[in-house]
Amino acid sequence: MALQTSKRFSTWIGGFLLVVPSIAAVTVFVYGMIVWTIKISMTDRISASVKEPKFVGFQNYTNLLSDTRFTHAFENLVKFTFVFIVGTTIAGFIMALLLEKGIKGEGFFRSFYLYPLAISFIAMGTVWNWLLNSNVDADAGGLNLLLQKVGLGFLQNSWYLSENGAAYALALPAIWQMAGYVLALFLAGFRGIPDDLREAARVDGASEAKIYRYVLFPQLTPTLFTVLIILGHVSMKVFDLIIGINGKSYVTQVVAVYMWESTFDQRNYAKGTAIAVVLLLLIALIIIPYLRWVIKQENENR
Amino acid sequence: MSQNYLKVKGLSKKFGNVVALNNFSLEVARGELVTLLGPSGCGKTTALRLVAGLERQDSGTIFLESRDLTLIPAHHRNMGMVFQAYSLFPNLTVAENVAFGLQMRKVDRSARIKKAHELLDLVGLDSQSARFPHQLSGGQQQRVALARALAFEPEILLLDEPLSALDAQVRSNLREEIRRLQLSLGTTTLFVTHDQEEAMSISDRVGVMNEGRLEQIDTPDDLYNHPKNVFIANFVGLMNQVSGTKTGKSVSVFGANLKVKNEVVTDGRVLVYIRPEFVELECTESDADAKVISRLFLGSVSQVICQLNDGTIVHSLLSSRMSAEFAPGIRVKIRVNEDEVLVSNG
Repeated sequence: MALQTSKRFSTWIGGFLLVVPSIAAVTVFVYGMIVWTIKISMTDRISASVKEPKFVGFQNYTNLLSDTRFTHAFENLVKFTFVFIVGTTIAGFIMALLLEKGIKGEGFFRSFYLYPLAISFIAMGTVWNWLLNSNVDADAGGLNLLLQKVGLGFLQNSWYLSENGAAYALALPAIWQMAGYVLALFLAGFRGIPDDLREAARVDGASEAKIYRYVLFPQLTPTLFTVLIILGHVSMKVFDLIIGINGKSYVTQVVAVYMWESTFDQRNYAKGTAIAVVLLLLIALIIIPYLRWVIKQENENR
Repeated sequence: MSQNYLKVKGLSKKFGNVVALNNFSLEVARGELVTLLGPSGCGKTTALRLVAGLERQDSGTIFLESRDLTLIPAHHRNMGMVFQAYSLFPNLTVAENVAFGLQMRKVDRSARIKKAHELLDLVGLDSQSARFPHQLSGGQQQRVALARALAFEPEILLLDEPLSALDAQVRSNLREEIRRLQLSLGTTTLFVTHDQEEAMSISDRVGVMNEGRLEQIDTPDDLYNHPKNVFIANFVGLMNQVSGTKTGKSVSVFGANLKVKNEVVTDGRVLVYIRPEFVELECTESDADAKVISRLFLGSVSQVICQLNDGTIVHSLLSSRMSAEFAPGIRVKIRVNEDEVLVSNG
């Protein structure tokens, strides 16, 4: 018995030693920092030099509710997220639908659409800053000029500088960037469905359209769920894209940008950390149910 | 039986440079179960898929009575098909799977659910109707697939190696169940398999295919007893090949002169084909042809395996009661209890 225990221990200990560094690093630099951030967010620390910050409970959080700059950033984030998720999902899905039949050059198109993911946000932000030039008519450039040339001049607008449409305009480059990724996910979903099922549906009397409606689309529900979760959390954290296009301007500010401004420009650590914690909770709201679902699925398949 | 329900004429199909089907013709009578049997790559599945409309032929025609199906798409052909991998829709329950074909035909919900239960009852799975495919065993899934293929009363039931993925026991049970259902519903059936026993045991007729062609189509008895050529003789059942000497219309083997069935063979040294049940043995010391290597007891019969002096192996199927004496090492004389044999230039 004792021998068996020590034997099991000796096989176990080697593996454990190998993962210790990563466990320690994650514990300190991820979970430790989260705890530290939460702790600061409950104090009145407004500069690095304060020696003994005072505990203020949820004061910083309730302050955020009446902070119009925060609610403005939050509203922008909701608008951006909505257009970004709907647009990216639809664009990616349609592209996958066009490619899933196994057309010639599928591999080329897949890489072609996936490529924007590899571009740095700053480079992309700069390009889209030009494309979304707010000048119209005679002075127009970028998309506005393109719209004029194809006879859709009435669609010209000031994009990310417009009063109400700024957040929506910023979703455009984000859709452009992520649609290829969603395409790849949906394409993998389609590929996971055996050809036999289409054939079985076909001989059973299903037309091409009905095969999609009754056999293929229902089986992509898990993929759609994954896509929504991935886009959702990417959207919540959006920061560099916004900075790349329009800096920290008020009109396009989202929660992450406002957090940066509060923390590092205003040096209001208490407020900045409170915003960070709100952002963390928003993301957790999306990710935790997803992880539970994934784990449940894995257990069912076992 | 008038064999003019399904008429397939001159079907050819190439995949790239590979000829999958070469001038394939077949007629099936109403209510008949015809099996296409052959080694893998012989074109049997291609033939089935062409009948189903899942592939388009390069040339040839397919008629169902007077209806020309040649250019009709699969979903308008009204054929039921069962696949090797079950291929049930994982997002639908068992009952919904069975009702799928009826749903596609716009049958109203209550009628199709009723029909689905009827069919599931026929295959003994009505109690599982609310479950999902992945909750069933392989054999159960394949029975659901069978019910699904029959639910909309197809003109023809197409079975593409439906038993190949199953365990031996389940396979033989389901094999009998398919035959029972097919006979009671009178569904014309085209069955594709590489398994001889399967083909021979449940078919009205078996067509043996080789290299994209139909070599012979006959009842299982005729196929076994009267193979048209050497390929069939070798492919169907166990067959001995021994050397003999052909002169004109007769061949001499084991000291006997037998009639030659097929005549396009030149005289001289030939291979003679003899079924094990026509090989009789007699213990001898002096003029032995062979030596017994082993005896496999199979119940009422035993298979005695002998080796000729030139090394050739010969199988003999004898009643177990009469063959107890043929222990390994015993020297025997061989007698062929058949008048007519197939030969080839080997």
